[in-house]
Formats: sequence, C-alpha cells, structure tokens
Amino acid sequence: MPQDVLQQTYDVIVVGSGATGGWAAKRLAEAGLKVALLEAGRAVSPKEFTEHMPAYKLKYRGHSPEIERTRPVQKQCYACMEYNYEWFVNDLENPYSTPADRPFSWQRLRIVGGRSLVWGRQSYRLSDTDFKAASRDGYGDDWPFSYADLAPYYDIVERYVGITGAAEKNEMLPDGQFLPPMQMTCGEVRLRERVKAKFDRTLTIGRAAIVTQTHNGRAACHYCGPCERGCSTFSYFSSPFTTVKDAVKSGNCTLITNAVVSHVDMDSDANKARGVTYVDRMTKETKEVRGKAVILCAQALESTRILLNSSTREYPNGLANSSGVLGHYLMDHVAGGGASGTFDDLNILPSANPPHRPNGIYMVRFRNTPSSGKHPHFIRGYGFQGGSAPEFNMEATGIGAEYKKAVKLGRYGISLGAFGESLASWDNFCEIDQNLKDAWGIPALRISMAHGKNEAAMMRDAGVTAAEMLEAAGAKNIRVQTSYGIPGMAVHEVGTARMGNDPKKFVLNAFNQAHDVNNLFVTDGSCYVSSACQNPTLTMMAITVRACDRLIDRFHRSDV
Amino acid sequence: MRIHGSEASPSIPGRQFTASLISRRDLIRTALLAGASAACGPALSLAQTAIPETTPAQRGVDDSKLLADSNWKPTFLSKGQNETLIALSDVIIPATDTPGAKEALVNRYLDLVLAGEPAESQQKFVDGLNYIDTESQRLFGKEFHLLTPEDQNDLLQPLAYPLRPSFWLNKDHPDPGVEHFGRLKSMIAVAYYTSEIGQRELGWDGSFTHGPYQGCEHPTTTHK
Repeated sequence: MPQDVLQQTYDVIVVGSGATGGWAAKRLAEAGLKVALLEAGRAVSPKEFTEHMPAYKLKYRGHSPEIERTRPVQKQCYACMEYNYEWFVNDLENPYSTPADRPFSWQRLRIVGGRSLVWGRQSYRLSDTDFKAASRDGYGDDWPFSYADLAPYYDIVERYVGITGAAEKNEMLPDGQFLPPMQMTCGEVRLRERVKAKFDRTLTIGRAAIVTQTHNGRAACHYCGPCERGCSTFSYFSSPFTTVKDAVKSGNCTLITNAVVSHVDMDSDANKARGVTYVDRMTKETKEVRGKAVILCAQALESTRILLNSSTREYPNGLANSSGVLGHYLMDHVAGGGASGTFDDLNILPSANPPHRPNGIYMVRFRNTPSSGKHPHFIRGYGFQGGSAPEFNMEATGIGAEYKKAVKLGRYGISLGAFGESLASWDNFCEIDQNLKDAWGIPALRISMAHGKNEAAMMRDAGVTAAEMLEAAGAKNIRVQTSYGIPGMAVHEVGTARMGNDPKKFVLNAFNQAHDVNNLFVTDGSCYVSSACQNPTLTMMAITVRACDRLIDRFHRSDV
Repeated sequence: MRIHGSEASPSIPGRQFTASLISRRDLIRTALLAGASAACGPALSLAQTAIPETTPAQRGVDDSKLLADSNWKPTFLSKGQNETLIALSDVIIPATDTPGAKEALVNRYLDLVLAGEPAESQQKFVDGLNYIDTESQRLFGKEFHLLTPEDQNDLLQPLAYPLRPSFWLNKDHPDPGVEHFGRLKSMIAVAYYTSEIGQRELGWDGSFTHGPYQGCEHPTTTHK
C-alpha cells in the first residue's frame, strides 16, 4: 500500500463494505467527499462464483469436514457450504462467548461485500405501525422519525438496487419502486386466493433485491437458483459490484482491504473522532487512518464492539456511551413457527431443470394491526415467508424400481415459516469479554440474548394460523411447528446502538450521529429501535443514505 | 440440493429447526437441485489461479472423478461392510432403464463421508449394516451380498413397508430393523440423487438456465 494512503486526512472514514458501508461510500464519494472505505477482509472476484457448479463436482457434495473444523458456528448458516465457506469468518480466529444457557449464533463474513454476498435478498419497507409501535401498545420506544421521513430514501435505494415485487396497497407493508414481480406457482396462487377470501390476509410474491429486467447495467436474473454462491450476471444485489464499485469509480474513494478495525481514535480536547486504528489482517501491523468524520457500518455487533473497545478517560464504558445503553437492546427476529403440507390434488411433476425461482412468497403481518385490534396473548406481529412447488420425494416408501418412480412423481409441497418481531429488552446485550481476544489481539464480545415469552406466544400463534390457512387452501399432511431457533439464526441482529432524541436514553440521534461525539456515526442495524418483523437490510440502507445526505449537507456548511 | 432431514445435526439446536421446517431459505435452496452447466466447466477451470482463502470449488477444482479411481479402497468401511452396502444400495435403488446405486458409486461416496463423521454417527451406520447381515444369516445362513436378488428383496420388504402401529404392536418398542433400514435408505438416497447419475435420473438436462419462471397459468380457482 502506498504510504500516502494513510498519511492524508480523509473527509470520511467508512468502516465496513457491506450493504450499508457500500451505500455510505457511494453516496459520500459521489458527492465529492474523500472517503476511505475500510474492510476487514480481502477483495472478492467473480472468478470465485460457483452458482453453476453441480454438487457432484464437490468432494463432499456440500458437507466438508473442513467446515466442521474451522466454522462450527458459521455452518449453522444456511448459506455456508462447501462451495463458499471461505467467505465466512473462521470461527477459530474470530471467537465470542455466550452464557451457557443463552446461546447466540453469530453468522458473519469478512470480505468486500460482507453478508450482502450471501444474503436472502428479501426487501420490505417498515410502516408507521412499526416506527410508532410504542405509542400504539406502550412497549419500548418509538423511532425518532416517521415513515414519511424515510420514504424518499427507500425510493432512492430501491431505484438503484432493483427490487422485484408486486404492489398490494397494504398499510402494514408499504409498496415501493418495484421491478416486475416474479411469478407465483399454482399452489401459491391457490393459497393467495383462499386466504384472501377466508381471512382477508394478503399473500404476495417475495420482494427481493434481484433484477428481473436489465437494470443499472446489470442483466436480468437467469433463474439458476443459488444466489448465495455468487452471480455471474450480478442480478442479485451485492455491494462489491454495485455501490462499492461506484464509490471507487468516482475517484474519491480509497478501498483499504484487510483492515481489521480495533477502535475509533479520539481527539479528547476537541471531543471529536480523529480516525480509526486497525490491525492489518495479514501482517498484524497496527495502523491509523485519519478522517474528519467516522461512520461505522461494520454490522450491528461489530460496530458496537468497536465502540466498546474505544473507551477513553471521558468515555470509560465505551465511546459515545454516556447513556450506558450501548450494547443493550440487542434484537434478532424470532423465526421458526409455521406449518407445511402438501397439495395432493395438484398433478404437476417436479423438475430438476431450471428455471429455479430464487425467491419465495410473503404473507403480510395480520396480528395487532390497526384494523385487527389487539391480540390477547402477545404484542406486535410476524410475517410468513415460504413457498409452494412440486418437489422430489426422497422420503417415499418402498424400494427398487417402485421407489425410483415414487421419488420422481414427487409431492406438491407448501410451507409457511414466520419471522416475528423481537422485543427490545435491556437484558439482551453484548459486552466485551475481558478474557477473550481474536487472532489480531482485539478483545472479543460476550453476547447474552434469549427470546422471551412474547416471542414464544407469537411462534405458537404462527403455527396455528399457518396450519389453518394451509387447511383453508386444501393442503393435506399438515405439520405444525411452534418451536423456534436460537437468537442469531434469523441473521437479522439489530439494536445495540439505538437511535432516539434523548441523549440519556439513546446512543444515536435521529440522523445516526452519536449524541456524545458529533462527527461519529453508526448507520448499520445497530441503530434500530424496534425490530419490526420485516427483513432489515433495505431499511438499513435507506437509513444510511438519509444519514449520509445530512452529513454531506454539514460538510457543505463546513459544520464537521 | 435439499433432501428432507438429511441436514439435521443433533448437536446444534438452530440447525434442527431449519432442517425440520421448510423456511424461506430452504425454499430458496430447493432451487439448488441441479444448478449446473457443462458449458461452464472450462471457464471455471481457468479460474484456478491462486486467489488465496478460497474453497476448492471457488478455485474451480472438479472432484467428480475422485470416486471412480481404479485403485479405490474403502477408508472407513471394512471390506465386508462395503460389500453389504453395495448390495443393499443396489436393491434399494437398482438399475432400471437408468443406472442404479452401484453404478453411481454410492458406497464410495458414503465411505468418504462417514470417514469424517463423528464416532456416534459412524457407529449408527455400522450397526445398521450389521443388522442387515445378522438378519441375512438368521434367515438364509449367508451374508446379505451373497443372497439371490429374490432373497435380498424378501429380507428388505418388511423393513421397507412397515406396518402402521396397531393394537397388536407394542408402540413403545419400535422395530429396530425399520429404524436401521430407514437410516441407511435415506443416506443411500442422498448419495445416489446427489451423484451425476442421480441428477440425470431426475431429468436434469445439464443446463443452468431456461429463462424466467412462467408461473401459474390457470384461470382463477382451477389449479390442477
């Protein structure tokens, strides 16, 4: 690396190159600000994509012992497999701890693009029922802005990213700037029609960050299926080939890879961040980058860890933590309740051939809505994700030619699985584990979280409602599930540096600036006040753009 | 590819839940069944430049011929267990108008996978094979792989089509043979249907794209 990269003072240092960091870098660099974009991992190349490689070319066809050895946590992620496990962090180098009775699954990538390389791509707006949830039911806090404040930024993000979806005019799930929707299967259309007629609930095709027509130079999805292994046509949204690329192309953004940020450096006299210190991942040398402002986009827990590791005499309990809430109110959607079944009267055979639609269906939240009234057993709500299609039936009974035939005859499956709101609670938190460091000597996290009674009641209800909707649609062999995964399994962790107007109760202000340090920002999921039940990435990106526009404005007024 | 139940890993709570219910992610994964192109092969092998910290697949390594090595010997299974497995797999998934489990080298793939499994899973598999051979000796006085196809079939039929629990059966003591057989069969099925032969058996034509999914074209309420 040329020495001048570290000798200049940047306008803004962005930590993390995933969905939010990519947007921050793009937005700021294209506005003419000098940006240093720091990424803890290496660069990624389309040469590593494996979406068109059949499993039989893999030595273990998916389950390598190397994953067991080096990624005992990461392997819990559906997307971590023999194809791509090197994109996920090595758990031996990146430890964290939990209390024995409060397990947490922390699934993460350190590579340019971060989790945007393997994300589920589901993209849903939040509504004012979410932003003002506390005012409606008295639990927790409202967000410091309303839907109308964020809507223009949802528009900006959606127009650039490309979201396939269908408008539904449902107050719980605002419509956005959609590319043409993917099509539903017969089973899905049937379910949509029956639940509308019987329950007046809305089932829509998944809204996904996948382009269904040529969009901003990216070709339409070719329906090969496994997006999480990469995309040769860049049809699903991942930051390295979109926002980060744009940022670098502007000439104003310097991408620094293998920069494992340990802490934010403070100018204590001025009470301003003056840059960040990182450990070079390869050489383990410690280096400092200087900037007029710092934005953390490292992922909720990582950004919080950086702040907790940035204590100074003035901020002994973690930087920007005069409120004491930094690290608390960790949330992750509760997921698992639902039902599955079969449509035995749909005589459509499964096919091993594409098209494989890389998207499912979405049932809009219908509990505790302004029109449904209050549920007796829980507050907030859940949405269902799922799908229905003919599938090969390896579980067919019998042996011999008859078994082979039965496998191919298959069954027409239908399933719905809920993602429910995780209530913000002081008791769910992360802190620094004083006895644990990562491979670069940086103190590691201790994460303590458990889903509570409200989440359990919600998943029980989800099992029941899913079953009754499947039954209404004529499904057979219905199986109900009311249990749910441990925290972290939804990979929607948010909330550990919450935003709000009162500096005594919140870490960040309404524009993601730390109340304590006015040139320090966090725009990833840390800022969440309540989790809602929608997948969070779209909202994080919109919040990032909103915060960056405010920061750009401050630069123009020389107020940084 | 997704095969129900094949991914369950009892040691991790979260994994059980993902394996036992089709979540949205699993649905996205159902797409994995045969996502491949022969045309793509050469391009991928050119990618064998040394990008550090990549998986063999990301470096373009093609291990599809690994099991066909003419000097192949089992690393986990004993010679006898291997013989039993070959015979068993070929009764469960025989050659018909398409090749069966034996030709798909199901035994070799399972030997490779088992070698890296925890001792407990290894033991369960071996117990299953032992059960089949013990039954074979009891009923026919020979090891399973030495039986005629008819006798092999006779031995497996009751295990493959178990009675439903009834008043006359003690439901507190499920038939151990049915359990052993079910476990072996599901592993054999995974090994077969993930092989190239198995993918072709399912009708995969070697392509990875046929254009967008066209969706349901039925008039309202007549989906058949």
